[in-house]
Amino acid sequence: MTVVRECFILPGLFLTVVLLGGFRAADGVRFVTPPVMTLVLAMLLLGCLARGRVLAPERLMHSARSGLENVSGLVVLLTLFAACAQVFNLVTPESGLLHALFTVFFFVQLLTTLAAVRDRVLLLRGLSVLLGSAFLLRFVVLESLYSPDGGTLQRVLAVLMEGVTLGTLGYAPNAPVTGYVAFVALALFIAGLVLLAQDSESLVPGSLGPGSLGPGSLGPGSLGPGSLGPGSLGPGSSPGES
Amino acid sequence: MTRLLRPLGLVFACAYTALIVWLYSAQPQTMAEMTGGLAAEVGAYRIDRQAFDDGLAFFRRDLFEEARAAFARADPAQRDARTQFYVAYSFYRQGWGRVYSDDELFTQGLVAVDRAIALAPGGRLVVEDETLVMKTADELRAELQRGLTRDASDLNPLRLFGTRK
Repeated sequence: MTVVRECFILPGLFLTVVLLGGFRAADGVRFVTPPVMTLVLAMLLLGCLARGRVLAPERLMHSARSGLENVSGLVVLLTLFAACAQVFNLVTPESGLLHALFTVFFFVQLLTTLAAVRDRVLLLRGLSVLLGSAFLLRFVVLESLYSPDGGTLQRVLAVLMEGVTLGTLGYAPNAPVTGYVAFVALALFIAGLVLLAQDSESLVPGSLGPGSLGPGSLGPGSLGPGSLGPGSLGPGSSPGES
Repeated sequence: MTRLLRPLGLVFACAYTALIVWLYSAQPQTMAEMTGGLAAEVGAYRIDRQAFDDGLAFFRRDLFEEARAAFARADPAQRDARTQFYVAYSFYRQGWGRVYSDDELFTQGLVAVDRAIALAPGGRLVVEDETLVMKTADELRAELQRGLTRDASDLNPLRLFGTRK
């Protein structure tokens, strides 16, 4: 990882996501702090990123690095954690039934990802789809449904939805600028993850490169489908034929 | 060069984090509030003296809405305790009535005086102005709260002989 990227670009990107992630504009401007559940989701996401080798913590903090380098690495980790929390804060409605539904959905989705996805590219793609879909649902579908400028049919639909859910949806619409800011925040977050993933691929001085603990040792070639699939336990060694 | 970049990066991250923490705690509503708040944090915030004097002149002539417009020009970020005190006082004087007080104006006055108290060092604000009956923010706050409280004393006919402070 280049020094500039580690010290300026990544913290700058992630801190910008933290700043924009809580931005809400309606009657006035608000900066919404992330609820506790988003911290849990952020921890899960960090786990997924580490498991998928998008994030390689040993490249950011390690005994082979100097104290100052470790502090820089810690800053990247902390800002990444804060950005993860703010991203979930951003795409989750703030209250009501929708908040609970979105939170449960993210929780289950992240657990599934943590258990199943180990490939860096697949993880990044999956994460982009997950966050992009949540963005569309919240800032396009829900915002247009609850928009105060909407027509009669739209209002009837919103009232019907509230009626069906016994008024538990309780969505408070935001001004359109919130959606634009949210889009920028999500784009910056994904860009930051891509940069982080590129850094995780590169070699750094020390004994903890890809050949020791990186993807090469725990990737498809060792414990993945390639080692346990038909190629390793083929017809000649399958229990059915022995 | 690398030795210099890392400390610079840390300073950058710390400064950016401090800005974010301040934004989330101060919750500025306008760009003027944001820039004024940041200037106040580093002790560089100054009110527009001319606009303040205009506001004071309006206030003393009981032209309260004009006074508040001038005070808003003088202190766009709402970071000056003395100006906010006068804003609160203008709400009090405009809302005061011999029979009843205007709750809406008193509520806005309470918000403004709370802001003034929060901005004053140690929460203590004394304004040396001979034309005012209440010279401290605490007195003004208590008077505004009394005006908003509904109890049996509201029916006391002696209230009709009360005077505006």
